[in-house]
Amino acid sequence: MRATDWKRYLRRWEFLLFVCLVVVVIYNSVNVSNFLTAQNQVNLLQLSIEKAIVALIMTFVIICGEIDLSVASMMGLSASVVARLHESGWNMALAVLAALAVGLGFGVLNGFFVAKVGINSLAVTLAGYIGFRGLAEVFIEDNSIGDFPSWFTKMGQDGIIGPITFSILLFVIMAVVATVILHFSGFGRQIYAIGSNARVAVFSGVPVARTRIIIFAASGLISALAGVLYAARLGAVRASTAQGFELDIITIVLLGGVSIFGGIGSMVGVLLSILLVLNIRNGMTIAGITGNTQTGVIGLLLIFSVLIPNLAARAQGRLLRPPVDPQFQAPRVETTAQNAG
Amino acid sequence: MKRRTLLISAAVGPFMPAIATVVEAQSPEASPVGGVATATPGQEVNMMLLPKFLGISVFDQANEGAQEAHGELQNPGKLDFVGPTADNSVAGQIDFVTNAPAGGYDVVMLSNNSGDQIDPAAEAAVAGGTQIVTWDSPIPSGKGESLFVAQVDFDETGKVMADMALDILGEEGGKFAILSASPDAANQNAWIASMEKILAEPEYANLELLDTVYGNDESEESYNQALALIDKYPEMQLIMAPTSVGIVSAAKALQDEGLCDSVKVSGLGDPHEMTSYLENGCAPEFALWSFVDLGYTTYYASYLIATGAIQGVAGESFEAGRMGTYTIEEDPTRPDTGALRIVMGPFSIYNADNPGV
Repeated sequence: MRATDWKRYLRRWEFLLFVCLVVVVIYNSVNVSNFLTAQNQVNLLQLSIEKAIVALIMTFVIICGEIDLSVASMMGLSASVVARLHESGWNMALAVLAALAVGLGFGVLNGFFVAKVGINSLAVTLAGYIGFRGLAEVFIEDNSIGDFPSWFTKMGQDGIIGPITFSILLFVIMAVVATVILHFSGFGRQIYAIGSNARVAVFSGVPVARTRIIIFAASGLISALAGVLYAARLGAVRASTAQGFELDIITIVLLGGVSIFGGIGSMVGVLLSILLVLNIRNGMTIAGITGNTQTGVIGLLLIFSVLIPNLAARAQGRLLRPPVDPQFQAPRVETTAQNAG
Repeated sequence: MKRRTLLISAAVGPFMPAIATVVEAQSPEASPVGGVATATPGQEVNMMLLPKFLGISVFDQANEGAQEAHGELQNPGKLDFVGPTADNSVAGQIDFVTNAPAGGYDVVMLSNNSGDQIDPAAEAAVAGGTQIVTWDSPIPSGKGESLFVAQVDFDETGKVMADMALDILGEEGGKFAILSASPDAANQNAWIASMEKILAEPEYANLELLDTVYGNDESEESYNQALALIDKYPEMQLIMAPTSVGIVSAAKALQDEGLCDSVKVSGLGDPHEMTSYLENGCAPEFALWSFVDLGYTTYYASYLIATGAIQGVAGESFEAGRMGTYTIEEDPTRPDTGALRIVMGPFSIYNADNPGV
């Protein structure tokens, strides 16, 4: 018994990620003298903290069997709303609240079209991806708006506990809350149920539509929050703020072992994936590797993370038929694929 | 040394010939104000050359110049030419500057594309032991910046562009629009401001600026912005693009639309990329400086600062290899910031008489 438990543990995607993370951290520590300093560790998180925050809610969205392509555009829109309102003389705190309200409102709208109207979330949020960015361009045009009050930029840049910034602290709290909700609450179980098989979930009495709307509303709100934090960190906003972030965010979530077909994945995997990607990026930046190459390396990682489980599942399926271990996660990718179709 | 300083302060016209006044080094060691500092080869300085983003030929040329100086000074340290992707320029530059101390870099040579958004990262890098020397595009506030290696005098750029506009449009002048890089680009913003200032002078009264738009130094975006200008302002006779990407895109847009007879392109362009547009008359005149020299000069200044041969204060003079001697001065284009600069120069004007290739 013990032996099989151990093997099962070894096969888990999260374990693989953990091993990769350890290897990367050791490699960076050996090759970069300042890698393990507190300041570098904070920098490592801080420079991508907005993506990490959105990756938390994206995990819920994808496990629920949906996708939200509009998150980065929403970040840009909320940053633009804050900047535009600030420029026209609004109180900064009110401007932030307005931006969050915009995020929540459009999130609910996304959820409404997916859950109530029944349009595929890929299409709905693709519209948001274009539409929110378009709105940001209307607000900001070709300008770069900055000159925010100092409390706002301090919030984005300065440490509040030692070098740890407000954004990092917020991320840690949100990660704990997200883990509890996803893995230890009824709501979390409903999300897995919907992602595994929405029709079955409906017949089981799961409030599918309501859950989907809540997820998309939260996605809009948290993306807007991340946009505000990003504006505070950079100290200026352009219409193109956060452009292209959605792919990085989705990459992190998929690399974390969350199935693109829904129903499978864990918060631990996503958190490990966040740390892995940030450590790889940090190591590459410190080693003087350019932005293009970094994007390429992360892209390769994603390819492997999507291909390996699938190929492993097929290989296993041929060798051992029927699969001996129902807990092995790769074959489940195929079953969920059928559900999605 | 004196001669060079005088030339700079006299704000000579744009057609200043390439004068490199080489002054014999008076002392080989680090020198106080008044002497001319020279570089001692063979010292280890880890350098990062950080352009606005990669994939722009003029930045590759700057790297050529930096590599040349790197070899000349036999620096056993590293010289890394790194940069963000174009669509992630602001955050990417902040990433590289923030991580520079951890990467063991002594100097970051930065062409700033992040406006003052780079300030906190630059100051943190300095605190972490990495100095920032800017080139091409400075940090507007001067925060964290040791020195700015200006390619040309920024106020002069406005005059050069206005002169070229008059040259192309003739004495009767005409209407034109500016196609710039990004709204966060400190250099382009300063040049546009200086051009707007000079347009107020009676000499340029016949030039009318219609609009300023931004193509973010991306070819397709710049191309589309040029087309939009053509549609929006049928009376426009000239597009002035103070960016090597924008000027090519604008010229291509006009050529594709068959409008080169009625609308011309000018600005700052790399002659290697502009040959065909110069020949077919789309871009009859434009200007630039040598980016190879800029990278080379920046490397020397950075090496001297990092090795302590110069402190980076106003009045210091140093020799930058084959480029001759420079004197550090307060940057008059960034008043009240305490920011320092040297001016490399000169402008080269390219036209049918001087195609540059």
